[in-house]
Amino acid sequence: MPLLELSDLRKRYGGIVALDGADLALEAGEVHVLIGANGCGKSTLCKVIAGSVLPDSGVLRIDGAERRFRSPREAAAAGVGVFYQELSLVPSLSVEDNLLLGREPRRFGLVDRRAVRREAERQLALFAGALGPELAPDSRVADLSADQRQVVEILKVLGEDARLILFDEPTSSLDRRQVAIFFELVRALKREGRTVVFISHRMDEIFEIGDRVSVMRDGRVVETTAVADTDPGRIVRAMVGGEAAAGGAPGAAPGTAPAPARPGDATLLRVDGLSAPRVDGVSLELRAGEILGLGGLHGQGQSALLRGLFGIEPGVRGRIEVEGRPLRRPTPADSIRAGLAYISGDRGRDGVALLRPILENLAYGLVTREGGVAFPRGRVAGRLGPVVERLGLRFGSLSDPVRSLSGGNQQKVVIGRWLATAPRVILLDDPTKGIDVNAKADLFRMVRELAEAGAAILLYSSEDGELLGHAERVLVFNGGRIVRELSGEGLTRHALNEAAYATPGATPGAEAGAAA
Amino acid sequence: MSAATSGIGPRLRRSTWLLALGSALLLAAINLALQPSFLEPGVMASNLTTFLPLILVAIGQTWVVLASDIDLSIGSTVSLVNVVTVVVIDALGGDAAAIAAGMAAGVATGLGCGLVNGLCVARLRFQPIVTTFATGVVFAGLALMVLPEAGLPVPEVYWRGYAGGLFGVRSVVLVLAAALLLCLVIERTRFARALRASGGQMQAAYQSGVPVTWTRIRAYLLAGFFAALAALCLTGETASGDPLLGGAYALSSISAVVLGGTALAGGVGGFLGSVFGAVVLGLIGNVIFFARLPFEYQTLVQGLIVLAALAGGVLVARR
Repeated sequence: MPLLELSDLRKRYGGIVALDGADLALEAGEVHVLIGANGCGKSTLCKVIAGSVLPDSGVLRIDGAERRFRSPREAAAAGVGVFYQELSLVPSLSVEDNLLLGREPRRFGLVDRRAVRREAERQLALFAGALGPELAPDSRVADLSADQRQVVEILKVLGEDARLILFDEPTSSLDRRQVAIFFELVRALKREGRTVVFISHRMDEIFEIGDRVSVMRDGRVVETTAVADTDPGRIVRAMVGGEAAAGGAPGAAPGTAPAPARPGDATLLRVDGLSAPRVDGVSLELRAGEILGLGGLHGQGQSALLRGLFGIEPGVRGRIEVEGRPLRRPTPADSIRAGLAYISGDRGRDGVALLRPILENLAYGLVTREGGVAFPRGRVAGRLGPVVERLGLRFGSLSDPVRSLSGGNQQKVVIGRWLATAPRVILLDDPTKGIDVNAKADLFRMVRELAEAGAAILLYSSEDGELLGHAERVLVFNGGRIVRELSGEGLTRHALNEAAYATPGATPGAEAGAAA
Repeated sequence: MSAATSGIGPRLRRSTWLLALGSALLLAAINLALQPSFLEPGVMASNLTTFLPLILVAIGQTWVVLASDIDLSIGSTVSLVNVVTVVVIDALGGDAAAIAAGMAAGVATGLGCGLVNGLCVARLRFQPIVTTFATGVVFAGLALMVLPEAGLPVPEVYWRGYAGGLFGVRSVVLVLAAALLLCLVIERTRFARALRASGGQMQAAYQSGVPVTWTRIRAYLLAGFFAALAALCLTGETASGDPLLGGAYALSSISAVVLGGTALAGGVGGFLGSVFGAVVLGLIGNVIFFARLPFEYQTLVQGLIVLAALAGGVLVARR
């Protein structure tokens, strides 16, 4: 009998199907790898096991008994431990307090501080020699480096004594020595008969530590095999799906072949050795009229790069040049004046002021770009009139709040704002999140028009189809770095997925190719 | 010694009460210079009697602020507890049993106020500032219904007992010692850790299996309890009921908490700092009085000092 069994799990978020009848069985004492492209449903599946998401339907069994976890606490009580990347540590608390949070040893009903210290020291000793001397049990987590934090999170999960542990990208910030120690600990867990679910963005790690691998696609588990019986090629084919692996660029909006590259055009954006939180030495060049795609799994630095370029996130190092002029430590206002525009899929956070009128939302870019004090409503409305027409916006009145619009129309307002400023470089950060098919097609139609008019586009999308359909060149990210550049014949769904799991830094010439 | 455990910045961060203690000692020295009798037991006891209610309310406020919430209703809670206590004592005839029943009713009222706040904020997820501002108005209104006008003296044995002592130790000292002991015990529980985790990063605490909702409710319950304790002391001091008694305590207690180094964002700080913070606010009043400055300066000076404490906290956190 499997330790944990999932059958026919289904979960929808609004119109998006995250799980579409997923089945999975985990045996005691195995390391089970879960793999799939963006949006395949693996993180939702993990959240169901971890108790932070309730499925719409389907059954979860542990030791054959049906269970339904309504909170992480209930899942933990049933023996499920979860490694969440940068989610489970409290920065203001010390390492030891974090390690034993919620399960502090007690004497006479009160927390036994000495026992807390002893236990923390015992756990930290597991990574002795690989952590740096500045990591003490009483160090504040906020003062730790990324790899130290990740080790603390790993130790915290290990300390929970769970029978089933989900590790979602536990090695993304670790160096080689730390990864080796981590794998030793995982093997020890196996010997104790515990089960590990392992999600990684590095194919080589999957083959090093995994016993079995389950591939997910479109909300379902499409293949489960022993790792010894498969190879990377077969895994990627299962991720991509049979018919798609052969074709060139399926999933793109109909009737849209990528525009041909025009090498003679001027370079509008040059980025040299840019580093930021989650971005590690990225260089790229972007020409007028070009749509350059950023690919790879979620959260590998694509969004961080775009936000860093636009000046939303601090801590950016490296050279940025827009039309040959350097942009040093930009703020969004600097970037807008330099001719940049940023369109995010997270409209509520980055795009629109929901309660303010449509007209005002359209005017923000113009106001920032041109400066000045007074903006007579009539004059602004006059200049924005053609933009509104071009957008094909469906609205009651321009003085209605943006909230009255659908998601797709809200996104059009954001685009319209930038149309009015005639930007030179447009940064698209997964721009079609949560908008319908027609709105997506409209969005890309306008993006293409902008490119044809001489703007340069940097497009990050978590949907392979959008990259394949609209970018003529794609830089694939992994662990904050560009691991591969794909273009022309080499730009296929299969190649994108294969590259997404490439080991950062191990692909010769990747960075040189990207910079060329 | 490693980098994380030495140096002034980290130490200040861990012992957030040090700065408030230093300020309190400095003010005490100035006070002593202006008022040579400052250290005499009678004067000390009288000062403590004056400071004690704010100390207790500030302690109560601390738990809530640690969870990254706030309690603007705590002053009205003090008023409501005061009037409920005196009305119950009066209604039951004013003997020893009536006094005990009145005090119990007062504590129950404080806990009730805390429970209402906790349920609204943690359970129903209402915004803490708005919610406790509103419940504060409600509690103040209830206090006016219970006792429309100031008056209704408590039995002599109540206020004599408060002004006196037990086994040669003054009641105010006993109350303070009991409160501090209770705090020390609370600080050693898992609850205190859950509180700082919830205030430090609520999502992380939840993912780690910390019962965040219940923790926040308990913080409000403690605030209500300490507010009740403060009200019972004030009742001993004023010997009567007053529906407007607690008015100023909400903002003074927040000032004391901030002065004591507890971060308004939650997660960092503790009761000890708030105790010193309350003493600082009290001593400022003394110093202004004995320096013969106009009384009106007191609020201004207190405000400037709280502002300085906030700025200092931000600067330390930025390092």
